[in-house]
Amino acid sequence: MGLPKNVYKMFEDIVGPEYISDREYILAAYRHPLPNMPQKPVSPEAIVLPGNTEEVQKIVQLCNKYKIKYIPIVSGAWFDAYPTQPGTIILDLKRMNKILEINEEDCYAVIEPGVRHGQLKTELMKRGLSYPVVCAGPACSVLTSFACFSGDHMMQWSSSRTNRYLLGAEWVLPTGEVLKVGSLGYGAGWFCPDGPGPSLRGLLKGYVGWGGRLGVVTKVAIGLDAWKCAEEIPFEGRSPSYRVRIQDCARIPGCFKTFIFKFPSLDNVRDAIIEIGKAEIGFAVLKFFYATAGLLMTESANEFWELWNSCLLQKEMALALWIYLATWSPEEMSYEERVLMDIIKETGGEPIDESLRLKWQESVDFFFLNSFVQRTARLGGGWMPLMLSADSVFHMFEAAKKIPEFLNDFIAKGLILKAPDNFQIVPMEYGHLAHIELIIFYDRNLPESQKIPIYVINKSLETQIKYGYHTHMPPGTGPGIEKLGSLYSNYHIWVTKIKKAFDPNEVSGL
Amino acid sequence: MDTLEDYKYTMELCNRCGQCKWVLGPKFKGYKYAEICPIYMRYGYNAYSGQGLINIAQELLEGKLTYEDGLIQLIYSCTTCGACDINCKSIRDMEVLDTILALRAKCVEDGWGPMPKHKDYAQLVSESHNIYGKPHGNRLQWVPKDIQLSEDSDTAYFTGCTTAYLFPDIALNTIKILKAADIDFKVLTDEYCCGALLWRTGQREVAKKLAEHNLEVLRVQGIRTLITSCAYCYGTFKGFYPRIAKVDFKVLHISEVVQKMLKEEKLKFNKSIKMKVTYHDPCLLGRLSEEYIPWTGKIKAFGYHDPPKKWRRGTYGVYDAPREVLRAIPDIQLIEMPRNEENSFCCGGGGGVPDAFPDLALWIARERLDEAKSTGAEAIVSCCPFCKLNLERAIKILNEEIRYYDLTDLIIRAL
Repeated sequence: MGLPKNVYKMFEDIVGPEYISDREYILAAYRHPLPNMPQKPVSPEAIVLPGNTEEVQKIVQLCNKYKIKYIPIVSGAWFDAYPTQPGTIILDLKRMNKILEINEEDCYAVIEPGVRHGQLKTELMKRGLSYPVVCAGPACSVLTSFACFSGDHMMQWSSSRTNRYLLGAEWVLPTGEVLKVGSLGYGAGWFCPDGPGPSLRGLLKGYVGWGGRLGVVTKVAIGLDAWKCAEEIPFEGRSPSYRVRIQDCARIPGCFKTFIFKFPSLDNVRDAIIEIGKAEIGFAVLKFFYATAGLLMTESANEFWELWNSCLLQKEMALALWIYLATWSPEEMSYEERVLMDIIKETGGEPIDESLRLKWQESVDFFFLNSFVQRTARLGGGWMPLMLSADSVFHMFEAAKKIPEFLNDFIAKGLILKAPDNFQIVPMEYGHLAHIELIIFYDRNLPESQKIPIYVINKSLETQIKYGYHTHMPPGTGPGIEKLGSLYSNYHIWVTKIKKAFDPNEVSGL
Repeated sequence: MDTLEDYKYTMELCNRCGQCKWVLGPKFKGYKYAEICPIYMRYGYNAYSGQGLINIAQELLEGKLTYEDGLIQLIYSCTTCGACDINCKSIRDMEVLDTILALRAKCVEDGWGPMPKHKDYAQLVSESHNIYGKPHGNRLQWVPKDIQLSEDSDTAYFTGCTTAYLFPDIALNTIKILKAADIDFKVLTDEYCCGALLWRTGQREVAKKLAEHNLEVLRVQGIRTLITSCAYCYGTFKGFYPRIAKVDFKVLHISEVVQKMLKEEKLKFNKSIKMKVTYHDPCLLGRLSEEYIPWTGKIKAFGYHDPPKKWRRGTYGVYDAPREVLRAIPDIQLIEMPRNEENSFCCGGGGGVPDAFPDLALWIARERLDEAKSTGAEAIVSCCPFCKLNLERAIKILNEEIRYYDLTDLIIRAL
């Protein structure tokens, strides 16, 4: 189909000829399906690389004028980055890649979409600051994680989800108007998402974000926390055999420790989390995926299989709790450790196999930069995360107990890896809330394998609806929205209305 | 030899995670010097990256994409530095660079590749056995007449075209070092081009013939240890020749030889060099220097490779030897660049890019020189005549103060 020549020329006039292309060989790298995609994407008509907000605004205004759909992307590592309809262009925001400010006093950083986690996190670590790095990996966009898409991470125990860290934002609305959100809208700077100025954080991000379906977020400020760990990632070895020097992870010697305890039941894991939360100790506390952990600890699919077939992971890590302590002084560490050990004893925990713990400890770089999602594709590319929502810790554990109810049938049929406990529950804010996520692995060589995740997701949804669990990420738009709406205060009615009001020409997103 | 069809699994498995474009997680040092793919950095489109090139390869293989000049230019803009490959393989079981090289070979087979300048290599090596079209008889013109070389040693020095014709001082330094270490060696009198640039521009049949010739020379002369001073020759012997035939001799880079001699106290640096230097890892001596081990088998359920495959993930490249040698020189201060070792940023001199796209090669070299300067180093040291060629050209054009030294140059000064 292609863009009409005159329209292409107008886009070209905005960004310059170097930063727009409709050549098939350029488009090829934006339409290649991800290995776990249920259906092949449609080719975009053109790729545009805007360099600033003004260019984004002009592009969006043109898209409205000519009813051209646009999808803003950075790394494009998830389904939302792919067109589903002809006539769509991609706005690749790679060039908008500046860290505009790191405010160490008021603890926020202002960034453009192209800034990657690896860049910002390492800059902040040098300054004794940190922020929630989602598990998408160091090469993924920080802004996307905060303003546009989901955003849970491994350290939210002592902090929170990314949506709660979103401060002032600059937002090109689907129609092309530029809206400044929070204190920025009042000319008061970036520090606050709410007043003074328009408080639209819930509308912009809410729980999940719009995935590019509600305009283009061009700048955000994010809140920062103190970083109790090392200024640089202390590691040795070479790719892929990096080994984190755990003794050097602490900012103050002896003030960083990792533990993994196994428990006799999920209830025990839950009780331990609740008690640790009451004590308000710990830097990161989570029940982590055990099969995924196996992928992090090994260097090839074959090596994973050796470990998996030894059944050590299943025996030791299926019902385990990962705990990271980071403190400001050895005395504080000593206190936290003693409290932790008391709780573990009271809740029936015990240390896991030492060789496995050490193996994990060496792979703890995920703690810094959370790159585990990238490694999940190593098992042939057939994988899918599901559930992905949040509620109370208790609620999440109850929901987790029902996972076998919808998963066992797929396991019995040999359609997915026998890993019913490959879910994580990541509490946040010392246990006020918890996030749940289940990862399934399936063999892409199986006939019609691309349908497996859909079958599993549908069964999972049925189970959530049956029990009234809030464990399935509410989709921003799309076909699943009505099914889940009633579980979430009929949010779907509002979402649909917001989309209609903000994007009358239906040009933004898929 | 491997073909593009052999890499279907790689092509299908990419999930655009971005690891082929950015340094590896633990190696991030901050905002700057975080990108690893020179062409992605320069052009910004995903197509210009390991990810994009394997996407393109798949569409070409499946007949969804047709050849055009712009596509060929894109494919040949890649320096084949392999950063994408090693970074991807840190977290995946994929062969990104071999896919790119097989893609280039397909372009040649289909009559579209390589770039016109690259075609000259094939013509020149067929006429004169070197890529510069210089008389073959002059290949050893650099050898001093007064130097005694062994005639029956099973150790040989392989000079390489660029060293022999453009930088004979490196060759001279190398044999002086070997002499100083009292190593019995010969200089190969009938070596041809190693085939590196032919291989890397997809002209594999020509490269294969060169390899076959050199392998036969080495066999006839009973060579058990081959020493190179050129990273490109080294990486080609380790990475390409095993695709042609069984390689039953040891390949050593001069830095490895010196490292060993220093340890055994057969060499000692007596002279001081007061200089702050940074070391640039040549791609084919660093991350791409592991031996290629052919693998044929099946990729079964959940990515299981049967039989198990021995991966070249860049773990065991020649990283330590040149660094240890530099550190052994009195008063030299070695400062690392943020992107180093397996995450080294290409100098822009590889894959035939300087000949086909000199402006791009200059742009990449400028980025590398900026990084070198950011360390406060007075000089950038490396072990590859192609790096020397491109970096020195950039230093001259950009009027930079930083100097370039081949490692052998500093070794000779320090002996």
